[in-house]
Amino acid sequence: METIVFYLLAASIVFTGVAVVAMRNPIHSALALVCNLIGVAAIFASLQAHFLATVQVIVYAGAIMVLVIFVIMLLNIKEEKPARERFLLLGGVVLAGFAFFVALSFVFLHQFQVTPELTDEITGSVANIGRVLFTKYVFPFEAASLLIMAAIVGSIMIAKTKRREVS
Amino acid sequence: MQIAILVAKAFIIQQVILGLASFCTWVERKGSALIQDRIGANRAGVYWNPKNPLLKIFTPIVKVFGVLGVVNTLLNDAIKALLKEDFVPEGTSTFMHALGPFMAVLPVFLAYCVIPMAPDFEVAGYTIRMQIASLNTGVLFILAMGSIAVYGVVLAGWTGNNKFSLLGALRASAQMISYELAMGIAFATLILSYGTLDLYEIIEVQKSGWGINPLYYPTGILSFIILFIVGMAETKRGPFDMPESESELVAGYFTEYSGMKFLLFWLGEFAEIALFAIILTIFFFGGWHIPFVELPEGVWWAALVGHGVLMTKVVFFCVLQIVIRWTLPRFRYDHLMNLGWKGLLPLSLFNLMITAAIVLWGMNLS
Amino acid sequence: MVSVNHYLILSLLMFSIGVTGFVIRKNAIVVFMCVELMLNAVNIAFVAFARMHGNLDGEIAVFMVMVVAAAEAAVGLAIIIALFRNAKSVDTDDAAELRL
Repeated sequence: METIVFYLLAASIVFTGVAVVAMRNPIHSALALVCNLIGVAAIFASLQAHFLATVQVIVYAGAIMVLVIFVIMLLNIKEEKPARERFLLLGGVVLAGFAFFVALSFVFLHQFQVTPELTDEITGSVANIGRVLFTKYVFPFEAASLLIMAAIVGSIMIAKTKRREVS
Repeated sequence: MQIAILVAKAFIIQQVILGLASFCTWVERKGSALIQDRIGANRAGVYWNPKNPLLKIFTPIVKVFGVLGVVNTLLNDAIKALLKEDFVPEGTSTFMHALGPFMAVLPVFLAYCVIPMAPDFEVAGYTIRMQIASLNTGVLFILAMGSIAVYGVVLAGWTGNNKFSLLGALRASAQMISYELAMGIAFATLILSYGTLDLYEIIEVQKSGWGINPLYYPTGILSFIILFIVGMAETKRGPFDMPESESELVAGYFTEYSGMKFLLFWLGEFAEIALFAIILTIFFFGGWHIPFVELPEGVWWAALVGHGVLMTKVVFFCVLQIVIRWTLPRFRYDHLMNLGWKGLLPLSLFNLMITAAIVLWGMNLS
Repeated sequence: MVSVNHYLILSLLMFSIGVTGFVIRKNAIVVFMCVELMLNAVNIAFVAFARMHGNLDGEIAVFMVMVVAAAEAAVGLAIIIALFRNAKSVDTDDAAELRL
C-alpha cells in the first residue's frame, strides 16, 4: 500500500515537474508547479511530517504561487516564442541534465548501499516541531523573522513606482 | 468495516453540506426579498393540481413550499441551469475553463473533512466520531484549504478571456491573500487559548460552563469580531463583494460562466458561508453543547441532539451573514485594503500579544 | 518497502528537472519557478533524512527553507515587475546588459 502510494506520488511529481519546464505558456507551467507542490506536500505527509505538509500547502501553494500567478496575470505575459534555431543546444542541455541525474544517483546508491530503513521514533506533529523550534532553534527562528522583514521592505522599495514630478 | 464506516460518514457529511448550502440559497433568495420589501420567488407550485390521488396527498406541501419559494430556488433553478447551453469563451481551453468552478468547490468541501459534526457515539461496538479525518493539524488544514480556494477564482478570471473577468480575479486574489493574514493570526490566538488544534478537542474544552476559561474572555470577543469580518471578506460577500461588483465588472470573475458551472460557484460560496458559520460556532459558541445542560455520552440520541444544536447555531450565523450582505453597502477598493492591512492585521497582532501574555500569566499562576 | 533511497532518487530527479529548466528557459518567471522546484527537491531529501535519523533537525531545516523561499518570492517578483517596467518584457535575454 505504502509503496503504491509512493510510486503514484512520485510519478505525478515528476510528470508535473517536466510540465513546468516544458509548457510554453507561463500560466500553464505555474499551475503545473502548484500540482507539483501539492504532490510534495503529500510526500511530506507520507513521511509523517504533518506540520510541514500543511505549511507547504499554506506557504507554497497558497501564498507564493498565488503571487506568481498574480504577477503573470498583472503583466499579461504572453507565450514564449519557440527557440527552434537552438534545438541542438536545447537537446544538449537536456542530455546534460539527465547525465547529472544518472551520475549523482550512482553516488547516492553507492553511499547508501545498505538501504537504510525509515524509523518511526518521532513524528513531525505541530507540538513536536514547536517544541524544537522554540528551544533548540530559537535563534534561527528569530533571524528568519528579520529576513522576512528585510524582504518586505526591500520588495516594496523595488516595486514602488516613482512619483513623477510635475513639470 | 472501517472503510464502510468512512464512506458512510463522508456521505452523511456531504449531505449536511449540501443541505446547508441549499438552505442558504433559499434564504438568499427569499430573505433578500423580505429585506428589500419585495415578494420574491413564489410562482412555482401554484399550478400543481394533479388528478392522481397518490400525488394529491402532496398538494399542501407543494403549495406551501411553492409560496415560500423553495420549489423555485431549489428545483426550478437547478433544472434551468442543467438545461442551459454550456458556453466556453473563444481562445481558452475547455479543460481550463471547467477547472475553475471545480477548484472553487473542491477545497471548501475538503475543509469539511476535519470538522466534527456530532459528539461520539457507539454503534455495534464501534465508537464513531463524526469527523472524516482527525488530523493533529486540524485548524491549519482549514487554513490551507482556504488558501487553495484562490485558484478557482484566478482560473475563472483568467479563462474568461476578457478584461472584466481578469479584473475581478485580480481583486479577489488580492483580497483573499490580504485577509488571510488576519485570519491566520486570529486562528493562532484561539489555538493559544485552547491549547489544541483538533476541533473536536476544542469543543470538548468548552464543556464546562459555556466557553473558554473566563481569563480569556476579553481577547476572545476581539478575536470573534476579527474572525467574523475576515470570514465575510474571505467568502467575497457582504460589503466585501468587490470582485463581483455588478455595477463595475458585470459579474466579476464568473462573467463567462453559464449553466451548471455558474451554479457550482454559488454552491462553493454558500458552502464557504456555512463553513465559516461552523468555525465560529465551534470556536466561540461551544459547538454542540447546550449551556448548563449536559448530554449523556456515547448514546446515539445524544449525538442526534448534539448535531441538531450545532446546526441550529450554524443556521443562525448563516442567516446573520446573509442579512449583513443585503444590508450594508459595498466598500470602496482602497477602503477594503486599508481595513485589511491597517485595521485588522495590527488589531489581530495586538490581540495575539495580549492573549500570549494572559496565557503565560495563567501558567505561572497554576 | 520504501526506503530512504527511493526518496533520494525522487529528490534528485526533481532537482535535475529544475536545473534543466533553469538553463533552457528564457522567461524570468519560469526561471524563478525552476528555482522553487530545486528548493522543493532538496526539501524532500531533508524530510527523508529527518525520518531516517528519527529527529526533527531536518524538518526545521525545511521550515527555514520555506521562510527563505517566501522572502525570495517577494523580492524576486518585485525585481521581475521592475524589469518588466523598464524593459517591457520578462525575457532574460533582454536584461543581458547592465543598463536598461
